[in-house]
Amino acid sequence: MKRPLYKLENLSFAYDQHPVLKEATAEIFDGEFIGIIGPNGGGKTTLLNLLMGFLHPTAGSITLKDHPPGVGRDEIGFVPQALRFDTQFPITLEEVVTMGALKNQRLFHGPSRKDRQEARAMIDKLGLTPLKDRPFGTLSGGQMQRTLVARALIGHPKILLLDEPTASIDFESQATLFSQLRELKGSLTILMVTHQIQPILKDVDRLLCVQTTLSSLAPEKVCEHYAMGVYHAP
Amino acid sequence: MLHEFFQNPFLVMALLAGCAAAIASGIVGSYVVVKRIVFISGSIAHSVLGGMGLFLYLQRTFDLPYLRPIYGALLTAILAAFLIGWIHLNYKQREDTVIAALWASGMAIGVIFISLTPGTNVELMQYLFGNILWTSSRDFLTLLCLDAVILVTVSLLHTKLLAICFDEKQAFLQKVPVKPLTFLLLSLIALTTVLLIQVIGAILVIALLSLPAAMAGSFTKRLSHMMALAVLLSIIFTLFGLFLSYGLNWPPGATISLTTTLAYLLHLPLKRIIAR
Repeated sequence: MKRPLYKLENLSFAYDQHPVLKEATAEIFDGEFIGIIGPNGGGKTTLLNLLMGFLHPTAGSITLKDHPPGVGRDEIGFVPQALRFDTQFPITLEEVVTMGALKNQRLFHGPSRKDRQEARAMIDKLGLTPLKDRPFGTLSGGQMQRTLVARALIGHPKILLLDEPTASIDFESQATLFSQLRELKGSLTILMVTHQIQPILKDVDRLLCVQTTLSSLAPEKVCEHYAMGVYHAP
Repeated sequence: MLHEFFQNPFLVMALLAGCAAAIASGIVGSYVVVKRIVFISGSIAHSVLGGMGLFLYLQRTFDLPYLRPIYGALLTAILAAFLIGWIHLNYKQREDTVIAALWASGMAIGVIFISLTPGTNVELMQYLFGNILWTSSRDFLTLLCLDAVILVTVSLLHTKLLAICFDEKQAFLQKVPVKPLTFLLLSLIALTTVLLIQVIGAILVIALLSLPAAMAGSFTKRLSHMMALAVLLSIIFTLFGLFLSYGLNWPPGATISLTTTLAYLLHLPLKRIIAR
């Protein structure tokens, strides 16, 4: 029997006295492409934070390869929303991408020549080379998102987590991102929080609906109500 | 007037001390500005009054000359940095309130001990508002040693400190020791605060720590370049403020602070023009 990559058993999480997740149970397998959907405040981002080991369950358990997620967190590539960054921060696109290789560096060392070469190759692959010396905060939403994808990928992650990567980016950038994810499908496990279900329905293996608890849905079971933001049992 | 200025050994020492303090404030201030922890730094700077007041009280009441108020400042600054760091990492939701409480309580403790201390408190006024003209050669040497500590730490850990300032989550995923580095950064801020007390005083520290770095950030696209420009601007404002205070017979700490603030206000329209 295939062993799950992530195993969530009766997982509960609360901020102070406010429960966000209650007795959620799920298994995620190696190589799956999963879309995470659900209403605002339903616990999608909290779930991602638990999967990365930033938060710890208040009850139940979550394991990544039989260990708490924090242990194997360097196998995770994370693409946050570009909007949450400080656009005044003095950092170039290339510096942001190179940060994806921090795990290769010893404490008192900076990026090696190999890290820089890999970063440049990834920047080139994603068509960002002409922008590599531009301050990150001056990039468009789509360019920022591609930079964050490049940062997540240069560490050769086994798991890619994306938190609403298409929020506030134009249609063309969304299409580029979905095409990149299609290319990556099968080579690593992908979990993407999204409000835009329609464009990825054909590509995902299944959907996880987060609404205090978790329910796994086959793409064909997802009706048009979900695309309108109305979440209910199939 | 310039000739007179450079003939005066007190003023020459003040100039050197100002340059030494500018190195620390430019570098550490850049981290403060980009990580948006100016409020945290203000709290550390103001809470040192508690330690200074306590040490001054013990020194005068129990005749303990080695308990210099500046040591009390250093001790309190480090304690405040660790307390704030712990709150920042564990209780983010209530961070602002607790930091404000530390800010106010530090000052309140200081004021109580000052009122209990026998004799005049001229020294304490110097720590509050600074008196760079009283810098001794021993103080200058201390400033240089602290500069060396900051320069060595930052040159060894710049990539990791940049990572925790830009994106703590990414740094955590990459197994960067986020918590120890956050405490280290806050300790560097505490050290720099104590260093700047000599120049500009505890109450005005925040101006020299944040404003030159904020200005430098408007004209640079890398943190390392921002630090270099912030050091240069800090030196210029300190020296200009010192010359001005000498010419107008104004208190040096307040004049340096006002010079820096005016320059910051003047740079705002320039920033908008460059942005276009």
